[in-house]
This record gives sequence, structure tokens and C-alpha cells, in this order.
Amino acid sequence: MRSNSLLHRLISAPEFGPFVLLVGEIVVFTARSPVFLSPGNISNLLAFTPELGMITLGMTLLMTSGEFDLSVGSVFGFAPVMMWTFYNAHITSLEVGFLIAMVMAVAVGFANGWLVTRLKIPSFLVTLGMLLVVRGTALYITDGFPQRTWTSDSALMKVIVGEFSVGGLRIFASLLWFILFAVILGYVLTETKAGNWIQAAGGNPDAARARGVRVTYTKIVLFILTAVISAYAGVTSSIRVSAANPNSGTGYELEVIAMVVIGGTALTGGRGTIIGTVIGVLILRTMRDGIVLVGVPGLAYNIFIGAIILGMMALHSWLERRHHAGT
Amino acid sequence: MADELVRMERINKYFGRVQALNDVTLSVRQNEIVGLLGDNGAGKSTLIKILSGALRADSGDIYMHGSKVNIRNTTDAIAQGIETIYQDSALVTQLSIARNLFLGREPVKGARFFDRLDQNAMNDAARELLKKVGITKEIPPTTPISALSGGERQAVAIARAMHFESELIILDEPTNNLGVDETQGVLRFVRNARDSGHSCIFIAHNIYHVFQVVDRIIVLRRGKKVADDIDPKQTTIEAVERIITGMAF
Repeated sequence: MRSNSLLHRLISAPEFGPFVLLVGEIVVFTARSPVFLSPGNISNLLAFTPELGMITLGMTLLMTSGEFDLSVGSVFGFAPVMMWTFYNAHITSLEVGFLIAMVMAVAVGFANGWLVTRLKIPSFLVTLGMLLVVRGTALYITDGFPQRTWTSDSALMKVIVGEFSVGGLRIFASLLWFILFAVILGYVLTETKAGNWIQAAGGNPDAARARGVRVTYTKIVLFILTAVISAYAGVTSSIRVSAANPNSGTGYELEVIAMVVIGGTALTGGRGTIIGTVIGVLILRTMRDGIVLVGVPGLAYNIFIGAIILGMMALHSWLERRHHAGT
Repeated sequence: MADELVRMERINKYFGRVQALNDVTLSVRQNEIVGLLGDNGAGKSTLIKILSGALRADSGDIYMHGSKVNIRNTTDAIAQGIETIYQDSALVTQLSIARNLFLGREPVKGARFFDRLDQNAMNDAARELLKKVGITKEIPPTTPISALSGGERQAVAIARAMHFESELIILDEPTNNLGVDETQGVLRFVRNARDSGHSCIFIAHNIYHVFQVVDRIIVLRRGKKVADDIDPKQTTIEAVERIITGMAF
């Protein structure tokens, strides 16, 4: 059981199953559709993926600490609406509007974290309530209409989601930010003291607290991180599609959580993997893209997503029992 | 006589109108293993929770090395060198042995900003410690706690207490739910702990286990201390049982 061989460790890693699935998907779609690996299709795939992907990175750390956040989709819609409303109404410059939107996200994250940790309300209820409050605010402020975002030529927009071309691929700067965030948060989770605290807070909060781990503080910081990264992803999206729609991000929370758990992070906390999450994001985005290309009706998409989630959960639970057969 | 390490003086604790502890005074000397016995509801757990910071006494004082200390929570207790090991041993089962050993006091290397765990140092120290507490089986320190047996988990908890120089290790029912071999292992760790300069308070339902390791037995009954210095070598299990149940007189 305690074999140290590289192959054994590789196979028993929680990321291994999702990785095989991703490779399988790519092989099948490439074989069945000539355009799947075309630069145009890959460019499309890489345009939106980083935006949803950023949210999953924050959510991975938060879920490892034993909590989750249903308000990410509404913050994704709310933050750009605030930023562009401030700018379009000539109240502030775009940069200041951006900062205001981020500060508001900090406030939302802090409120989530405070309610969950201090009042001990389950994160499901707190963030469900916050989802409605934040979405409602976005709709009320805009009367339900999207904000224009082609009104500015600020350099900030180029930095966030500037477009460039690499060997026939159209790449947005958001992809580089996503990779950077993934590397930083992956490092935090596995290599740092903070990462040890995050895992302990999710695994056994009482034991962690007894050892002097600041569980409450850790969770509040992660709620703030998740809200801020969701706001940033929303701003990215609004600039790329040239509109800040108060309804954008609807339903993202469940897709994000699905991506995270498919990658091998435990819904109950204590165990998380950024690499797995990145694979999980690619699995679902590739599936959504490829399934249409190979001619499966788009409406059947959810059947496949659901099957993937169920299959991966079964796999993770089986691996868990097999490799950590505790007494 | 060896020096006194800890003294709890005239501790009272009420839960509503029920008096759980009534003027209990208890002391533990250095390098001494004290067995704390009593029937269910006698107040053993309450007394120990007060000492380990999980509960606060309504009145009474705690002294370490003769000077009064204020223990408001478990962190205070650990800072005073009082480590409590519960039956589920308060480990994070998802984390590795090394990560559990250093939880809350992780060694960091390089610039502070990068907050980087010194995993090599953690693993090396963990390997040494496991040997010290008598785990001879080759277990890599990166093994998650969930893969360990109950006895091995207790050993990790005891190793942690020993590594951080806890002067007093409180073992609350450490042998519950353990097999025969594992129980012997835990009893051996307790003896090792004394030999390496730690004091212990040992609480167990099983008087036989207590008799095997302790230097002195204290008995509580209905919140009061009824015996203080029973020497397990000079008495019988039956005699102690009579004191516990109150049929001595």
C-alpha cells in the first residue's frame, strides 16, 4: 500500500483521473471533428476560459478551507456594472472606478466571511442571500440595461484583456493573468504556511484552532479573495465583450463548483488542488466546445456535464477509500 | 521530592445549578505520571478541560512552577507547555504526519514574504520523532493521518507534544478504541515521555492501564477529590475501585 514508485504515486494522485478524461476528450474530438484543433477554435476556447477559470482558482482555496461561495456569479456581473456606471456617468476615471469595484468586492467577501465565521451561518445560506443582494443591486442600479464599455481607451483595458496574436492564435492578456494567478495560488496552497492553514481549517477546524491556527481569519481572507477574483474576472469579461450586463455571470456559481470538484478538490474541505481545478476547467470548457463540433445537439450538453460530474465523484470517492483506508 | 510543575488550587465550576467541581486542588510534580480516576460524571473531564483551556473555572487558580498563570483558551495552555491529547487526538486527517506535527508552528525558509514551508526540515524532524516515540515501522512523514491506525495516530499526537517541549502532557482516554498492541504502544510512549523529562496526567476508564504506567493516583467523586496519593505499587485495583464508587468507608 505504501509504495513509493513514481508510477504508483502518479496514478493515485487525485488529478490523474481528470487528466485522463481531458486527454480522452481531446483525442475523441480531434478524431471526430477536423476543426477542433484549428487555430480559430482554440482561440475561441481560450477567450472565455480564463474568465471562468479565475473564479475557480479562488473557489478552490475557499473550498479547501471548508466553505464555498454561491455569490461569485453575481459579483462577476456586479463589479463591472459598478465600474462602468461610475465611468460612464463621469463620476470617476476608469481606473478609480475599477478600484471602487474591487473595494466593493472586498466588502462583499468580508460580509460573506464574517457572517459565516462569526454568526456561524452555513456558507450555503449566507452566499445564497448575498447572491440575491448583489444581483439585485446590479439590476437596480442599471435598470436592467447593460453598460457600454467601448467608451474608454484606458491603458488599463489593454493590461487586463489586451489582444495579441501568437502564430495564428488570437490570445487575450486574460489568459496570461489566469496562468499567473494559477501559479501563485497553486504555490500558496501547497508550499506555504498559509496553505497548510487553509487545508487544516477545512480538514479539522477544531484541531487547527487548538494548535493556534487562525481559522476564522483564514476563511475570511479566502472569502475576500474569491469575491475579488470574481470581480476581476467580471471586469475582464465586460471589456472583452464590450458590455457590462447586470445579468452576466448567472449560473456560474454551480459551473465553477462543478469544475473544482471534478478536479479533485473535496466539497467538504481539507483537500484541494489547483492543478486539478485547471484540468477541471479545461474538461468542461472543452466538452462544451467539442460536443457542438462533433454534432451532438447543443441542448444535450448538460447530460454530458452531469455524467462527467457523477463519474468523477464516483472515481474520487473510490480512490479516497482505496488509498486512505483509515481505521 | 521533585519540584512541583503545576498546581490547580481550589477549583470550582458550576454548570447551571450543578456543581461539577467543588474546591478541587491538584498538583503534578516534574517527571511524574499522575492517574486521574473517577466514575462517569465525577468531574475528571471538566477539571482537565479547565487545565487545557477548553473551559474556564468559576473560581480557583492555576500555578506553573509556583507562579500564577492565566489560561483563557487552548492556545494559552499550549504556550504554557500544557498539551492535551484527546482520544480522537485532534489531528487533521487529510494532512500528512509532518504537516500535522508542525501545524500552527510551521518552520518557514527564505524571505518572509514568500511564506515558504521548510518541508525538508519538517520531514526530517518528523522522521526522528516517529523513531523517538517508538514507531519502528517505516512510515514516510508525508503519509496522510487518514492512512494511520488509531495507535499510530496517538503516537503522532504524543510526538507533537514531546517535540514542542510540552512540560505537561494530558492524555484523556488515550487507549479508548485501541487494540491490544496499540494500547501497549501508547503506554510505552507515556513511559518514554516521562523518561525524557515530561510530566503526564493520564485519564482512563480502564484502571488496569492506569495501574501499569502511573506513579500516583488521584480519585474524584461527584466533583470532590477523595484520594490524592494512592501509590499503585502499594494498593490493589479492587481497593481503588471501592474509592471510586464510594464504598470505601
